[in-house]
Amino acid sequence: MSAPPPALTAPSAARRGVAAHRIGRAVASTARLLAIFVPVFLLGTFLTYLLGHLSGRSPAYLQLGDAASPQAVAAIEHKWGLDRPFLVQYGDWLGSVLHGDLGTSWYNGLSVAHALGQRAAITLSAAGVALVLGIVFGFALGALAAHFHTRWPDRAITTFTTVISVLPPFIVGIGLAAVFAVGLQILPAAGYVPIQAGLGPWLSHLILPAIALSFDTAADVARQLRNGLVSAYRGNYVTGAIVRGLGPRRIFFVHVLRNGIAPALAVLGLKFPNLLGGAVIIEAIFGLSGYGVYASQAAVRGDVPAVQGVLVVSVVLVVVFNLLVNIVLNRVTPDADRGV
Amino acid sequence: MIRTLLRLTSARVALVLLAIIAVVAVLGPVLAPYDPLKGSGRTLAGPSAKHWLGTDYIGRDVLSRILAGAPLSIVSTLEVAGIALVLGTIPGILSVYLGSVVEWLSLRVVDTFIALPFLVFAVAMTALLGNGITQAMIVVGMLLAPVFYRVSRAATMSVARSQYVEAAAIAGASTAWIVRSHVWSKVLPSIAVTLANTLGIGLVVISSLTFLGIGIQPPTPTWGGILASDLGYLAQKPYAPVFPTLLILAAVLACNLLADAIRDAAGETGRALTGAKTARSNRTRRLAASADPSRS
Amino acid sequence: MTSSAQVSADRDAVLTLTDVRIHNDAADEELVHGVSLRLRRGGVVGIVGESGSGKSLTCKAVLGVLPEHVEVSGGSIELLGRDVAGLSPQEWTALRGTSISAVFQDPASYLNPSIRVGKQVQEVLRVKQGLSRAAAKQRAIELLDAVHLHDPEYVYEQYVHELSGGMLQRVLIAIAISLEPEVLIADEATTALDTTVQAGILDLLVELKDRIGLSLVVVSHDLAVVAQLCDEVLVMRDGHVVEQGPTSEILHTPQHEYTRLLVAEHEQYGLNSSATGPRPPAPVSVPVLVPEPRSSTMPASTEPVLQVDGLGVHFGRGRGRKQALEGASLVIRPGETVGVIGESGAGKSTLARAVLGLAPVSAGSVQVAGRDITHLSGRERRAFGRDGVVQYVFQDPLRSLDPEHTVAVSVAEPLRIRGGLDRAAIDEAVRRQVRAVRLDESLLDRFPGELSGGQRQRVAIARALISSPRLLILDEPVSALDSANRVAILELLRELRSTVGVAMLFISHDLGSVAGISDRTIVLYRSRIVEAGDTARIVSAPAHPYTRLLVGSAPTLTSGPTDRVQRERLRAGLFVS
Repeated sequence: MSAPPPALTAPSAARRGVAAHRIGRAVASTARLLAIFVPVFLLGTFLTYLLGHLSGRSPAYLQLGDAASPQAVAAIEHKWGLDRPFLVQYGDWLGSVLHGDLGTSWYNGLSVAHALGQRAAITLSAAGVALVLGIVFGFALGALAAHFHTRWPDRAITTFTTVISVLPPFIVGIGLAAVFAVGLQILPAAGYVPIQAGLGPWLSHLILPAIALSFDTAADVARQLRNGLVSAYRGNYVTGAIVRGLGPRRIFFVHVLRNGIAPALAVLGLKFPNLLGGAVIIEAIFGLSGYGVYASQAAVRGDVPAVQGVLVVSVVLVVVFNLLVNIVLNRVTPDADRGV
Repeated sequence: MIRTLLRLTSARVALVLLAIIAVVAVLGPVLAPYDPLKGSGRTLAGPSAKHWLGTDYIGRDVLSRILAGAPLSIVSTLEVAGIALVLGTIPGILSVYLGSVVEWLSLRVVDTFIALPFLVFAVAMTALLGNGITQAMIVVGMLLAPVFYRVSRAATMSVARSQYVEAAAIAGASTAWIVRSHVWSKVLPSIAVTLANTLGIGLVVISSLTFLGIGIQPPTPTWGGILASDLGYLAQKPYAPVFPTLLILAAVLACNLLADAIRDAAGETGRALTGAKTARSNRTRRLAASADPSRS
Repeated sequence: MTSSAQVSADRDAVLTLTDVRIHNDAADEELVHGVSLRLRRGGVVGIVGESGSGKSLTCKAVLGVLPEHVEVSGGSIELLGRDVAGLSPQEWTALRGTSISAVFQDPASYLNPSIRVGKQVQEVLRVKQGLSRAAAKQRAIELLDAVHLHDPEYVYEQYVHELSGGMLQRVLIAIAISLEPEVLIADEATTALDTTVQAGILDLLVELKDRIGLSLVVVSHDLAVVAQLCDEVLVMRDGHVVEQGPTSEILHTPQHEYTRLLVAEHEQYGLNSSATGPRPPAPVSVPVLVPEPRSSTMPASTEPVLQVDGLGVHFGRGRGRKQALEGASLVIRPGETVGVIGESGAGKSTLARAVLGLAPVSAGSVQVAGRDITHLSGRERRAFGRDGVVQYVFQDPLRSLDPEHTVAVSVAEPLRIRGGLDRAAIDEAVRRQVRAVRLDESLLDRFPGELSGGQRQRVAIARALISSPRLLILDEPVSALDSANRVAILELLRELRSTVGVAMLFISHDLGSVAGISDRTIVLYRSRIVEAGDTARIVSAPAHPYTRLLVGSAPTLTSGPTDRVQRERLRAGLFVS
């Protein structure tokens, strides 16, 4: 194909604009990110609220039972403000969400934000340790496989990552519990100890759930990094750098890694919702009372504000994490446009 | 392409595995040697000639429960994949042709679905919309649809921007003609790959939900439910989860194998069409081609 | 050519290749069958050949960057009196950049897309010369200035995707000369660049050779590019050196058949240094098969096939609004061929797309065969397309033919879209059309991937002609083809013009092919038509400075240093680098 159109910029105007140009570029890329993430946040919260509304659940039945009189139901619904138009309710709720108020549970009248705050530590600990494990092992395996591209370590790692990516977290969880907690009895099978009680006990309770959660992330990061690095090594700019007389170490760290890492980072952003979601089932297996267990209990009870609270918090966490990933990506590879 | 596919060993293995699973799904309840719901005095028994896979905590035959649970797990997986296919592929292809507003909106909806933590949302929706398997399947199908949307959209876009589509447009072809004669056959392989992958994911998700007791009422046997009850008796019978696990893994593995095989077969067919000579010739020509930057 | 006595006698040789053979171990096949050359200090050696001829592999061998499984299996490469065969990786790293360096085709891909280009110039200086950050930056900007980039400070801060191909090639040359190597290899360094940009890069190479005493190896598929620069030329084909000698000998008394073809191509479809003469007559070709010229059956009306008045096209809005075409007017009469020439981004393709209704027209009008088609609705546009009055041929036939459709299906498509013909009639029309473009009917069931580049373009032309268009728009139809196919397709177009009588709008960046086929020529420069007239007049007496630069830049087999000075003056006037 033909070369890109020549940028025949008027030289003097261009020079004046170098600094302004840089700032403008940063502003534009931030604006582009916000244009993607703000709609996601709004749409996510709207869906969340709509879901609760459509469920037709009411605090009245939760408190009074199915035999409640219509008057009593209406009174309670009025008390909760549920007799107002839907959009008014949503606007009101969104407003308090933005102030950090997630409402009160229909089940026990306690603050949802408070209840989630207590449990978030557990879930985020598990997901966080899983994320770290996923990144560490994913990057190590991916880099190794790329280094031994097409030789036996590459094939072994590729097979291994394919196998572990097929294993669902709850099956891995059960397997780990059966072997390490019940069989070998070297790690606790259930429960949670806060980090204040010591790093060792904290980690010993978290390590099995975290490993179970991390398999999927580690496998995908490894595969993306391997492919990213291999294709980056095929880039002509690597030949260019060799011909310029740069050494192999510099070529890897400065040129290849920077371009090859992008797909792995991008997949990390996509994996984060899975880590949070996987926590629901992993908490059930390892008896952790995190927000996943809270969510499924609340859902079964029909405690709409609690469910909405959990969903909002997860949407916010995912959006924030993806924003961070995208900012890093924009810095690492400034030439690419991308979405969530 | 189908003929190329059937020549691949991995595809054959996958298809045989899937055929066995299909037979189990159809005939499972008939084959079950015992009543899957009736307990007996022998609780948590190991495998024996009478109970091939042993019994559970109230003495029910494990083999019978697994077989009886098969139809529900398999059929709901198929339905989930079907819902995702329809909800994802059609908007995915149309988003390329229906103008920028539809495109922007559908992209944001898909972004949102991807950002929602999958299991949390599935659990919440299933429970709130009434704890039933149908609701669960609709929800999971919706949440898996973005994958189909992205795949079909990407494939459609690459074809829609191609010069041969432009050539047809210059000759006055309608969008329907273009989709029928140029786009469809190129989008199909990637959708088939995604479908096979989604079947595996769907089975895992359905099993996860039934494991949590969502979407199904006990004592109805499901593979996830069996695992959940096994978990409570790990200390007494630590090998119990192995049987349902193996079944789930075999099914997932078969789906993944099939997906990879379809990808390989499509790639081979594609290569054969775009450059049969290059594909058929030895590696040197390709090496020489990659070595010579002037050949573009 | 290969005597050891001769090699040892060469005191001033900086690079000596002696019977170098390159072998692919994976396929057990020899790819290059013995190349010998000797590059004197300050000399220039050229290698000409098509893709796959082994010329680039030879360069890669000299640089020690052969692909995996490919290695030098015989002969020797001596760089500055040192055999490179036994060099360790560390020794290679030390040698590259300081003693030998290279620039390649597609400059954008040879720079890291994620790092500002200035930093990449600076990097080499810091790593290899140990300069401080500030000193390296200072030196980098000096280097960018030395390769004649306007405003080097600005260029320093840019990313690859923000610069044009010509600018990037200059950046790469700046990097390549930053450590003052003895030898610079330019491997297709100007291929795919605009003619004027190509001339600029070649002029720069010559200037650097004289100024800092570089010795050059220039590799190209274009004989004229090599002839312009080199003292000695090697002609390669299929891994063999088919001819080798001083440039003037190769040009004037080519021995090998392939060399003669290369020279002949330039004489027929190139600009002779004496381009003032009339267009060269059509060379003896295969007897014409299709008898009845269609133009004779049509009324001899002079109603234009295409009339474009004051056409304006712009993309985007607000601050990003970009004028792609401004006030373009042209007329094409039946059977006439009009050439459009200009650099990439000048608006050539926009003009063609506007005529087809594929670009948003903001001003002016387009009339095809007396019908105003400027503002048709989507439905009217499709109906107009089905009439098949205007047809289009793309640059790259591999991409413009559906890989899953056979030749027969592709050629038949316009008729099937139009409808109203039964299967047998369509089949008959396809066969007739395939014969008319001189394709064998046995190819009808083949897929595009099974055809050669020239055959594919014939299929595309057949598809365009099957609806009996009155105007054929050809957008760079020969740019993706190699020399032999380029000549053949141009022959075919000439022949079709007289037999079918179709009018043509022939778009190209290559003045040679435009001059070889069009009656009149239009020159586009920065979205405007700057000159239009008879092709012979444009070539012999260009009026606009850009046209003069273009004519002066077109690679010819004979052009001297005076041309360079002229070009530099014109470039200064036009603010192009």
